[in-house]
Amino acid sequence: MKHADNINTPLLYRLSFITALVVAPHFQRLDLSITLALLAVLTLRLTTLYFTRWKPGRLLLFFVTILCAVLIFSVYPLLMGLEAKVALLSLMLSLKLMECRTQRDLKIVVFLGYFTLITHFLFDQEMLLVGYIFLMVIALTSLLVESSRSSKATGWRFTSLRYSASLLLQAMPIMLVLFFLFPRISGPLWNLGVDNSTGRTGLSDSMTPGSISNLIRSRAVAFRVDFDQAAPPPRQRYWRGPVLWRTDGKRWTRAKFLQAAPVTYRSSAQPIRYQVTLEPSPNDWLYALDLPETLPPEATLLPDFQILAKEIRNQRYRYAATSRLAYHTGPLNQREQRLALQLPDNITTRMEELVRQWRLEASTDRDLVNRALRHFRTEPFYYTLTPPLLGDNPSDQFLFESRRGFCEHYATSFTTLMRIAGIPSRVVTGYQGGELNPIGNYLIVRQSDAHAWSEVWLEESGWTRVDPTAAVAPERIEQTFEFDLEENSGLGIPVIFSAGDYGLFKNLTRQFRLGVDAANASWHRWILGYSKEQQQKLMQQFGLENLSAMKLALGMILATALLIPILLYLLRLRGEVKPDPVVKDYQRFCKRLSRTGIKRFPHEGPKDFAQRVMRKRPDLKPSVNAITQHYIKLRYGRSDGTKLRQQFHRLVRQFRA
Amino acid sequence: MKELLDQVVREAGRIIVGKEQTLRLALTCLLANGHLLIEDLPGVGKTTLAHTLAKLLGLQYQRIQFTSDLLPADIMGVSVYHRGDESFQFHPGPVFTQLLLADEINRATPKAQSALLEAMEERQVTTDGKTRALPQPFFVIATQNPAHQIGTFPLPESQLDRFLMRLHIGYPDEQAERLLLSGEDRRRLLEQLPACLTLEQLKILQQQVSNIYVADALLDYIQDLLKFSRTSPRFNHGLSPRAGLALINSARAWALQAGHQEVLPEDVQAVLAATVGHRLHSSGDTGIDEGASLAQHLLQSVPLP
Repeated sequence: MKHADNINTPLLYRLSFITALVVAPHFQRLDLSITLALLAVLTLRLTTLYFTRWKPGRLLLFFVTILCAVLIFSVYPLLMGLEAKVALLSLMLSLKLMECRTQRDLKIVVFLGYFTLITHFLFDQEMLLVGYIFLMVIALTSLLVESSRSSKATGWRFTSLRYSASLLLQAMPIMLVLFFLFPRISGPLWNLGVDNSTGRTGLSDSMTPGSISNLIRSRAVAFRVDFDQAAPPPRQRYWRGPVLWRTDGKRWTRAKFLQAAPVTYRSSAQPIRYQVTLEPSPNDWLYALDLPETLPPEATLLPDFQILAKEIRNQRYRYAATSRLAYHTGPLNQREQRLALQLPDNITTRMEELVRQWRLEASTDRDLVNRALRHFRTEPFYYTLTPPLLGDNPSDQFLFESRRGFCEHYATSFTTLMRIAGIPSRVVTGYQGGELNPIGNYLIVRQSDAHAWSEVWLEESGWTRVDPTAAVAPERIEQTFEFDLEENSGLGIPVIFSAGDYGLFKNLTRQFRLGVDAANASWHRWILGYSKEQQQKLMQQFGLENLSAMKLALGMILATALLIPILLYLLRLRGEVKPDPVVKDYQRFCKRLSRTGIKRFPHEGPKDFAQRVMRKRPDLKPSVNAITQHYIKLRYGRSDGTKLRQQFHRLVRQFRA
Repeated sequence: MKELLDQVVREAGRIIVGKEQTLRLALTCLLANGHLLIEDLPGVGKTTLAHTLAKLLGLQYQRIQFTSDLLPADIMGVSVYHRGDESFQFHPGPVFTQLLLADEINRATPKAQSALLEAMEERQVTTDGKTRALPQPFFVIATQNPAHQIGTFPLPESQLDRFLMRLHIGYPDEQAERLLLSGEDRRRLLEQLPACLTLEQLKILQQQVSNIYVADALLDYIQDLLKFSRTSPRFNHGLSPRAGLALINSARAWALQAGHQEVLPEDVQAVLAATVGHRLHSSGDTGIDEGASLAQHLLQSVPLP
């Protein structure tokens, strides 16, 4: 009996294999040495399964366990942080595999596996991962199915997979009820000390030459935008981020505004309404089209039209805003004027000379701006992703020597020149353009769309956007900014813009990529973004407003309680097409008896049961006898008379225990 | 008919005291036209049981004591050269009888065992290229000693399968033992035992067994039992279709004995342990015979449909 519930080798193989798959997504997150240790333990398991003679002794297992523990403590000294705990869990899971022999061990490993699957959600909740986890749950469940089946059972080798898949499918309605009705905690549920901001790229609140050209190598998504109407054309898609005022000649930084003044501007343009879904970012500002008008309630607008959020969000964040594309910002106040004319110390004479030259040619400020743009257009300036390294005075060097630069070079030197000319100006950073996804009908703005431009204050139009990059490389602004990094990797080589004629394969992959992105976006919006507010909205559609968490929980329990009988009923309908009335009557008879404490065992025959009943309740003897006789005749006998059947039915109905 | 069978059991109960259930099962086995294997320690009455049955049923009776040097010819018979006719003449062996008691069957070599087992299955014997039919009816009651002993050849599963039932007799209870010890010599009683049945009656009884009705609901139950044995991880391998047939036939015979018109689940359950016990092995085979507990597990795990 002792070895009766040992599990066999094929099942152990399967268990080891599935355990490896369950742990696999953690590999990228854990320290390399931990990953190697995990793989080593799994390999050890498989080899000892293959070479049956080489059985790991207790001493060896003990040694391996100690080694693993030492490794974990050396990598994560105090077991601080989520990674350490996950590493511990994964290693212990694979070690448990080593001593897996009986059914009980198998169950422990499977349940630990379920738990390990949950830990993946602490790091990532992407659709692909969720799909993977679904598959793993099916696989783990199939192990439980397999272990309760005979190994000699015939049929398809993976029947257990089918069983477990259908089992989980049957649980689906309940899962949905729990998902929609489980009371939400406002705020991130999964944010258990996970640092999401590490390794994230994005704009920062200061700029030095080269900071944006580094950023654009990343294809990571910055945010996605759903427009309520048609999206504006590419040359008008300026997504406003930090506005930079102060400069030391090399570095540009924001100005400090003590308070958010109520900002107004005149505009005759139609407002554009849109929703932005911002990827997690380490910054506290939001992005909006130039110029924002209405904002999400939890944000404030600074006087330079930069939007500040109240807090840094480590979660994907969705907000609505409206903007107007044409505007007049009105007069400049003193402080702004002072800030917008601040000059660094390293202005060279040739810069001043250049501006003086322009001033002579131009009658108004506007003419001077145009003259400067013409300078960039006609002189041999190039737009390049890999500008040459500049020294202490980048503006001067760029303007007169290298003449190869990225948007930040053009924006900063242009702004400096305008300030020399006495025109108030500032640098705006943000994103420009974005790729329209026709599948989900939304705009994808990537880190590679990062951009910097200038704003000058003119008497007749207020703050006016001037993009010197557009003068040098109009394609950058007019089209979706796509380029081949390989093609453009040479130092100082002008950007070759993709003409937009893709090969068939490239086109297909692009379509596929866009499709995946659209699916992911709606996944985030509808599933992961299903928050307390959305829940309330959904409840409102059913006419239930302002439900407390308690009521929701009650509703959840109620809905589940309603659902289970329905599911059971459906299952029964499928299993038994037509229940035999004789059996039904007999079951009723047994039920009545069970109420008095005499319960029929499932395997007990009618005659044995009757005898037991009569021994316990001699008073029932005649009726029990008659019913049992009838039942035996009807169910196991040759007779199939309707008369007998009716008699039996009457007997059961009259029976009182 | 029930009375007749009851009388057989009653008479046998005078010899084998306090073992009514075992006697009934043994009788059932013979009614179902199957061979019987009795497995128990020496001295609990295996041979006496076989002898008693032979007497009561009025059958011709032969006994072979199996030893390790037993040859197939010792069982089946030999052809001996006859000088007078200048020809070989067949001298039939002990197998040519109606009831054969094969004592300690696991002591003989596999060769001798298989000779007997062929006879059991085919109900005929082939020697010197000539096939000879065995008398009708033909029953084999084999006994074996389960305890591990040096020099035995345990019957392989395929040959165990030929036996319709396997019975254990077990020690008698105190009262029965007292009766046994204080009573007359069983051997003498046995000699005086009258035959309760004629050959004709036995044939009629066997005919009636096959007439017992088996309802669809009962077939469902039997199929459920077979299916469970094949899918539960508790068993090394499931029951064969032959085991299913054996179960139905024994249940029919039991039903006749119990006076039922039709086979009830109780009849199946009554013969289950004896019929399937020697055909089941637990999945982690330990070499220890667990037939009884496995049969019990099977019985309690399968609900009546």
